This record gives sequence, C-alpha cells and structure tokens, in this order.
Amino acid sequence: MAKLEFRNVTVQYPIYSSRGMSLRNQLLRISTGGRIEAEAGKIQMVTALKDVSFCLNDGDSIGLIGHNGAGKTTLLRTMAGIYTPISGEVICQGSLATVFEIGAGMDAELSGYENIIRMGLLMGMTPEEAESKIPDIEEFTELGNFLQLPVRTYSSGMTMRLMFAMATSIQPEILLIDEMFGTGDSEFQHKAHDRMKSLISSSKIFVFASHSHQLLREYCQRIFLLEHGTLREVGHEALNV
Amino acid sequence: MAKTSFLNGPGIKDIVESLKRIRIALYLAWSDTKARYKRSVLGPLWLTLGTAVGVAGLGWLWSELLDVDRTTFIPSLTAGLIIWQILASSLTESAPTFVRQSNVIRNLKLPYFLHPLQLVLRQFINFAHNIVVFVVVAILLQVPVTKETLMVIPGIALLFLNLTWITLIIAIFGARFRDIEYLLASLVPLLFFVSPVLYRPSYLKISATIIWLNPLTHLIEVVRSPLLGVLPPWYVYAACIGMLVVGWAVTIAVFNTRCHRIAYWV
Repeated sequence: MAKLEFRNVTVQYPIYSSRGMSLRNQLLRISTGGRIEAEAGKIQMVTALKDVSFCLNDGDSIGLIGHNGAGKTTLLRTMAGIYTPISGEVICQGSLATVFEIGAGMDAELSGYENIIRMGLLMGMTPEEAESKIPDIEEFTELGNFLQLPVRTYSSGMTMRLMFAMATSIQPEILLIDEMFGTGDSEFQHKAHDRMKSLISSSKIFVFASHSHQLLREYCQRIFLLEHGTLREVGHEALNV
Repeated sequence: MAKTSFLNGPGIKDIVESLKRIRIALYLAWSDTKARYKRSVLGPLWLTLGTAVGVAGLGWLWSELLDVDRTTFIPSLTAGLIIWQILASSLTESAPTFVRQSNVIRNLKLPYFLHPLQLVLRQFINFAHNIVVFVVVAILLQVPVTKETLMVIPGIALLFLNLTWITLIIAIFGARFRDIEYLLASLVPLLFFVSPVLYRPSYLKISATIIWLNPLTHLIEVVRSPLLGVLPPWYVYAACIGMLVVGWAVTIAVFNTRCHRIAYWV
C-alpha cells in the first residue's frame, strides 16, 4: 500500500546571489562587524510552499497546475524527498520514481548502452537489472546502432527518447512526473503517450505537473492548483481544453 | 519528532545509505575513469604511463640537481609523486563534487555522500593504476622487501579513510561557498613544495620538526615508508589516527546539520 501525505508543509528556498555564495563576503561580514551586513549578508528567502497539506492513497492520480514559478517543481521535489521542508511533515510510503529534468544523470561521453546502465544504477537498480532493461529500451527508442555511440552525438530528440524510455522502464508505486513532453517527433509523442498510460495504470499514486490541460484531463482524476505556494484542490472544470 | 543526536542524525543516515550503495559508486567511479579516456587508444593506461613519464623525467632531473644517490632517491620520489597525485586531486576535485552532480541531486533521491564516495573510489582506481609504476621501479632498483612492507596495507587504509572525510567536508563547503574551489586550486601547487614529495622529512636537518606539522606529511609517510621497506615513526600513526577520529567527528557534525541544505545550494 502506497501513501503520500503532507502535513502543513512549508518549504523555503534560499537564493544565493554571487555575493552570498562567495566566501569573501562572509569574511567581509566578520571583518566589518556587520556594517555592510545588511547588504552583503542578505540571502533572499523564497517561500515556495506555504502550509501545504494533503493525503494521497492508492489509486490517486493528481494533476498539478499553476503558473510558472507557482511551486510545481518544488512541490514535486519535496514529494520525492529531495527538498526538506523547514516545517511540517512529509510521509512517504512505497517505492518512488521521478521524471523531472531531461538528461539528468547522463554522461554525454558514454554510449547509449553505458548510459542505460548508469542511469539504471542511479535509479536504484542492480547492474543486472539495468542490463535486463536493454532489450525493452532498444525496442522503444528505435535508436538502433546509435545506442553504441556516445550520447553527445545524439540530437535532443534522441536524448529525450532514451531518457524517457529509461525513466519509464521501472514500475514504481509512486510516480512523479514534471512536464516533459513537447520534444520528439509526432510518432514518438504517440508512443510516449501509450507508455505513459500503461505506467500510470500500474503505479498506485501518480502526480503529474503540466501546462497541457488536455493531457491532465486524460491522465488525472484530481487537480491541485498551486498559487504562490498555496495549494487547493479544484475540479476538472478548472481545466480548459 | 525525536531529538536528533550525533549518532542518529541525518548525516549518519546518509552515510549508511551511501555505503549500502557502494557497488553503484564503484561502478560509476570506474565508468567515469573510462569515460575520461574514452577516445584514447591506451585508455586508463595513460594514468600509469603518465606517472611513469613524470617519474623518469623528474627522477633524472632532480637527482642531478640535488646530487643524490639515484637508487634511494628515485623510489622515494616515485612513491611520493603517486601519493601526491591522490592528495592533490582530492583537494582540487572535492569542492565542485556536489555542484557537478547538481542535475542528479535535484532530480533523483540519492544519498549525498554517494558523490564524494565515488570521487574517493576514483582516486583509489587511479592509485591502483599508478602503483604499478612503483612496483616496476622497486624491482629495477632493488628496493628491499621486508616484513615492514606489509604495513603498506594499513597505511593505504589510513590514507583513504582520511581522504574520505576530507573530500566530504570540502564538498559540503564547496557547494555553499563557490570560492573554495579556486582557493584550493591555487593553494595546492604551493603545498607541493612544503610537503615532502620530492624530498624526505629526514633530508631536512633543521626544519624537520616544521615539516611534521604539515598534516599531509603524515599522510604521505604512512604509505611511503612501508613502500620503501621501513616502518614509519610511531607519531605518523598517531597523527593519522588522530586526524581520522577528529576529522570524521567534525565532518559528521557538519554533515548532520547541513545535509538537508545541499539540494538548495547546488
């Protein structure tokens, strides 16, 4: 049984300017006895999520909507346990997989095959498990002999195919996806769509952040709207097609 | 929430989780090493060859300049250079560890210590390639093999266990303060000359005590002396074990409080 619960979660995000990141300014703060502290020591804190609570159980599929910068990616990363909230509690039970940024964990110098193993390991597989995914990925990506070439020679569409195939090759209980469609040719879009469908039906909890209301309508039963870090549930009527 | 103490803090949990994945770290370290020499014919053998060329050139030059006996100088220099390479690249590559892995850190839930661990394992792979050069030199110049030579094994263990905490703590601060990377890059060449790489601490008549104040001296000697068939003085072990205990304690204390912030820093 999978479960994902947020209890009054607040996430604050420090934005370090080049000034804040530099040791010189930290030293200056000490040596000037705080005289310029007001300026040099100021670290912008962004409250990305404010007092967010919800509880997801088996069978929930959630669509996340909101403007750019509303906190969708931060929410997904907090769900995944990458960001730790400053207050509140995140309870996560069940195996979890994330599909966030394209190209995460790939090494451009290594071949497609080597990257399959590499990413598989990063996703928590054993080398044998990762190797067993190869036939499936060969078939899905249709990259053929290109898989023997270094990833740096790939076009962005090809990298995307490999990345998507890899990310969707596991069967997690909780699946978190950040907007990642839009690249790839139409044939690939179609294949990706089918694969997504089967993945969603096999995972127990599914959270999908997207600007495509059409996809959200198709994949998700419940819709969460994020506005300036606060979350509320809205009905499907909030989606315009 | 239970009060987090030193031993069940998030940093300790992270380290335990990373060690469970040591196979992954080892695989990635090896594939990184291969990737670096991907398009070269000799591949990682360049590690060995590069050291061999350096030793041959520097050995000849410095033994002429310093006017010392080659059969004692060249083995000592070889061992010194091999250990120095490990120390220098640990110091310079540690600071950007988390920053370079930022796309992994921000996208996959993995323990943080996995990345410094991978770096240390890569250093170990380099070391294993380089030590071949020493073996060849030792055979050619008939370096005595005694029962003290066995002390190489605890020596290497002490060196790498110390490097692990050094790498981790530099990686943490390097993620927060981006200047550290450049600071270390400019300090390391200087450290080369104040550390006994080209010379042995015993070569220095007056200032030998000063050279022992340099912690790197102990890390070098704990491996080099046994390689040359001599037991290092007791205080080398005392210093290495002392650094190990204090270093890890400080690093874990820092890691416990900072480990949740790293994702925001990179």
